[in-house]
Amino acid sequence: MANPPVLSVRDLAVELRTESGTRSILSDISFDLEPRQIMGIIGASGSGKTVLSRALVNWIDPPLAIASGSVIYKSQNILELPPGQLRPLRKEIAYVGANPMGALDPTLPVGAQIVEKIRAVVPGMDKAEAQRRVIELLGAVRIPSPAQRFHEYPSQFSGGMMQRALIVDALATNPAFLVADNVTQPLDVTVAAQVMRLMRELTERFDTAVVFVSSSLPTVSEAADQVLVLADGRIVERQTPAKLIREPQHPYTVQLISEIPQIWTAAAPVVESPERSGTPLISIEDATRTYRVRKRSSFAGYNNVRAVRNVTFDVYPGENFGIVGESGCGKSSLMRLLSRLESPDTGRVVCDGQDIAKLSGAELLKFRRDFQLVLQDPFNSLPPRTSIGAIIEGPLKVHGVNSAAKRRERALAVMHEVGLSAALYDELPLGLSAGQRQRVNVARAMVLEPKVLIMDETLSSLDQTEQFKLLKLFSQLQAKHGLTYIFISHDMAMVRRVCNRIAVMYLGEVVEIADNGKLFFDPGHPYTKALLSAIPTLEKRRYRPEDCLLEGEPPSPIDLPPGCSFASRCPKAFGRCHAESPVLTVDGKEGMAACFLLESAGGRIAA
Amino acid sequence: MFILSFLVRRLLQGALIIFLVTLLIFTLLRVVPGDPVRLMAGGMAPEALIEQIAKQMGLRDPILVQFGRYMAGVVQGDLGQSFVRPASGAATGGSGFSDASRSDRAEVLTLIADALPMTLQLAALAIAFALAFSFLVGVPGGLAPNRWPDRLAFYVSSIFVSLPNFWLGIVLALLFSVKLGWLPAIGYKGFAYTILPAIVLAIELAPVLIRNLTGSLASVMQSPFIAVARVRGLGRQRIVYGHALRNASVPLLNLLGIQISGLLGGVLIVEFIFDYPGLGLLTVNAVMQRDFPLIQGIAIVSSAIFVLINIGVDLIATLIDPRLEY
Repeated sequence: MANPPVLSVRDLAVELRTESGTRSILSDISFDLEPRQIMGIIGASGSGKTVLSRALVNWIDPPLAIASGSVIYKSQNILELPPGQLRPLRKEIAYVGANPMGALDPTLPVGAQIVEKIRAVVPGMDKAEAQRRVIELLGAVRIPSPAQRFHEYPSQFSGGMMQRALIVDALATNPAFLVADNVTQPLDVTVAAQVMRLMRELTERFDTAVVFVSSSLPTVSEAADQVLVLADGRIVERQTPAKLIREPQHPYTVQLISEIPQIWTAAAPVVESPERSGTPLISIEDATRTYRVRKRSSFAGYNNVRAVRNVTFDVYPGENFGIVGESGCGKSSLMRLLSRLESPDTGRVVCDGQDIAKLSGAELLKFRRDFQLVLQDPFNSLPPRTSIGAIIEGPLKVHGVNSAAKRRERALAVMHEVGLSAALYDELPLGLSAGQRQRVNVARAMVLEPKVLIMDETLSSLDQTEQFKLLKLFSQLQAKHGLTYIFISHDMAMVRRVCNRIAVMYLGEVVEIADNGKLFFDPGHPYTKALLSAIPTLEKRRYRPEDCLLEGEPPSPIDLPPGCSFASRCPKAFGRCHAESPVLTVDGKEGMAACFLLESAGGRIAA
Repeated sequence: MFILSFLVRRLLQGALIIFLVTLLIFTLLRVVPGDPVRLMAGGMAPEALIEQIAKQMGLRDPILVQFGRYMAGVVQGDLGQSFVRPASGAATGGSGFSDASRSDRAEVLTLIADALPMTLQLAALAIAFALAFSFLVGVPGGLAPNRWPDRLAFYVSSIFVSLPNFWLGIVLALLFSVKLGWLPAIGYKGFAYTILPAIVLAIELAPVLIRNLTGSLASVMQSPFIAVARVRGLGRQRIVYGHALRNASVPLLNLLGIQISGLLGGVLIVEFIFDYPGLGLLTVNAVMQRDFPLIQGIAIVSSAIFVLINIGVDLIATLIDPRLEY
């Protein structure tokens, strides 16, 4: 190797120091980062990845502390540099984190904050010059109309857009190396794929070495030249990605690879639809929901945000019905309609032959009993100062179980069923892991013996291992109680594993409904293909992102242009797509998709 | 455009609030016991004369009719005339019945216009003192949660909140005015007379501001964007003064808007103690003399001030934090 490494980490160890003692988080971490290298670091949650990525930029705050070791950059140990000497070095050491929306001051325009950073680390930089450079870079990361976006506030940026802006923030000073900690994790798959492509491009253009930390092996293996596998705070394996996947050495790596969901391989699970017996459990008929939001740029104007548009489908008893789409596509608004947290503006939601918007009193209570929700965020969906027993008993009280002994008995039975120990009955949710918290949420929903559980991104915050366990639990509960599940998710791999029928949403519309096999092997709608092309997977892709998706993000649901809503990102869009809006058309026997291409194909429908 | 729409909306709402406050005060004043005509005319005036004056003044009409008449004047900028004060000077009333002074009673608007600037000056100085002090104590407290500056801020605000303003006013007057002779205390003959009452009011305002500032600053300092700012290479000064305080000032501003109403209450007592010729003293005297038009006028003006200040506060808050919607 002719060039010396950009960064040398030697025997790095980090500890957690609390009153109850010291616990090792990282130990014996040593590696070199060569110029222009992309070094992937992978590990499960809790393996110390984030701590490591922070240690590399000297961002270790109490109760964490560096126990030993060094991070050498330009023959200086940056862990020991006083803040005054470290600060000028920030020009060359860049960091992008996993939380783009929280990374900038919400009260100041994005551009101004990037300029502020440049001027802080490059003394004497002219303000106008910095601004010119930022606008140019915003354009380079393909943020549309960068000169205007420069003056907008963080809350006006989408997550993907913000992550691009933060990449600009990191690269604006031509750093020698960049630490990217889980940068794609909060992003939608199609946007994440774009951000990844962008990062690779930019690191080449700016000659930057990258430490790329992620919990997703497919993402790392696509990006990195070399991969370090981190388990329990130690490096257990270091390989090129190809070799790592072919011949994993360490048991942890083997497990990690085995847990990666299979989409198209023979090993992929087959989810059959249950026999359709009788009437649908719940039908949504041509439902529309529009929210009015005050328009800031006008005197008394309102914007109509069209969150759900003309959605129609039925869910039959015993089904696992999936609703997928990217953030902002109207999934959660649709959940609110299905669970009657809100009523549709037009159209109706029918259950047992009755429009649920018209229910009230005892009938409504009965409906609520049959339809229970399990929400996404395991941390905010449980009251922190209520014992777990009381949380689970809450719904029983509402639904008129007056005997305390009966409630307790029922709660304990449900806790047993979902795999929570009875000892937790009097505990607060404080010390529970995310997985256990979701079990409490499931127990709270199950305690009323509902017919339908609506899972709004219930598994998104859990890692693969936990997801596996909970999905197993769900199928046990389904077998025992004959439940129907509606899964609302952005995770195509999860949906592939459990749902028998799937509706794909884009900008408030259902663009395709099909059975599992049909959707994944022969999707009718170009957007479904785009989603499939962006799934992080180690398999050979059936659909390549380059062929399926144009650069960009979904348009805003405010003031939608006429025509097909996907036309602006669809590589196959033609004249008619910009003028007329396609409706769901039968595509094959068990699928429907809203696309003109299917019509023009006429009877010749791909099998 | 946003600002214009905001102002029109909020000013209309404000007008409605002021109207309701006026209606409430007007009704309450007329159902409480005590006949103002008796007070005006004096204890010795004959019953028939009192009835006659009352009729002339329209005080025997139904309350809604009286209110309508009053509001018709208010929208033209006429708040009526004081029942008891002559245009020329000191308050009359009491037992003597002198017909002469009644003929040119003081305009309520004039009385308020004389007193209001004094109170605004006092309030502005009090808020300036309170803010300066809160920042001095609260910012270090917010930057060092659970360490000594935080505890100091807590103790200081606990002590301040426990000091009754009437007691503090008297003690400060005794100390600085009588014993040390540094500051004048009673009446008003120049700007220096504002300082002592302003300090008393500031000490009343400061504890809540300090608690709010330490709390919100401490929580803003926990935000991810503050932690990341250091890694991005911003200096400590910039992070604290450019970003953390900016974000922490929004809750402080909202609190200040509410505190102003408390200030208007505090002004009553403090002005009375220091014999400071402001709106507070005017109110105390008006209430004691059952000077209905004056009380109403003060109520309208104070509620208008309160409404305007809160509109201003919300406007500034939306300018600081563009995510806010009011």
